[in-house]
Amino acid sequence: MRAPAEPESFRLVIPSQTRYLNLVTGLAKRAAIVAGMDDATSAKVSIAVDEAVTNVIVHAYGGEAEHLVDIELRFLPQAMEIHICHTGRPIRDNEVVLPDPGEYLKFPRKGGLGLLLMSRFMDEIRFTETAGGSECLMIKRVV
Amino acid sequence: MSDLLIQVLDVDGVAVLRPEGFINAHTVRQFEAALEALVREARFTILLDCRDLNYISSAGLGAIMGLIEPVRANGGDILLCDLQKDVHEIFDTLGFTQLYRVFATRDEALQCLKGTH
Repeated sequence: MRAPAEPESFRLVIPSQTRYLNLVTGLAKRAAIVAGMDDATSAKVSIAVDEAVTNVIVHAYGGEAEHLVDIELRFLPQAMEIHICHTGRPIRDNEVVLPDPGEYLKFPRKGGLGLLLMSRFMDEIRFTETAGGSECLMIKRVV
Repeated sequence: MSDLLIQVLDVDGVAVLRPEGFINAHTVRQFEAALEALVREARFTILLDCRDLNYISSAGLGAIMGLIEPVRANGGDILLCDLQKDVHEIFDTLGFTQLYRVFATRDEALQCLKGTH
């Protein structure tokens, strides 16, 4: 068997159903630990992955259960990259508006917190369109 | 095993809601329904005992946020206690620890409520 190509990575493809969220977040948490992150950081990674995959299932696919979400984790020397790909409605970088936390506390409402958590818990987030669909890339550096 | 189990107790007139497991987009309706049932029963002082809550995503936070106004408008409140470290970090990151009263233990929360209840 050949050694894996650099960077080492693995993929998980799930149906667009929220019942798989726990499976994905558990895996992301363990992967972050393998990448060298501590327990607290790996918990943040798992939350960010939950939010990103939930966005795909609920918003990009509109809750339709028969699509696929492709999650790839890449282990770089100083970081972990998480690529979440789908073929649903794209989210573009310029459409992403993070709620102002101060305003949010003054005027409580449901929704809008997922992207804020992702941005607080990860070092970089990018939304791009690819040949086959759309991608959310999240990067967490190992410090 | 289910991703989320919810126990609702009455302790000295306070509705104590104790989620066990994970609150995410998959389980949030169950959590929201339990909170809404309390509000329908005019139980406006709700203590979320988070001792066995391993994880809460923004979906769960939104459920709490969605009920805070009717609860407070009726003279009640939603309080939190016994948050695990990771769960506390999520609440704190989003500023929820400023919006809600957070206690280290259930006893501490109930003791505080005795003065106002």
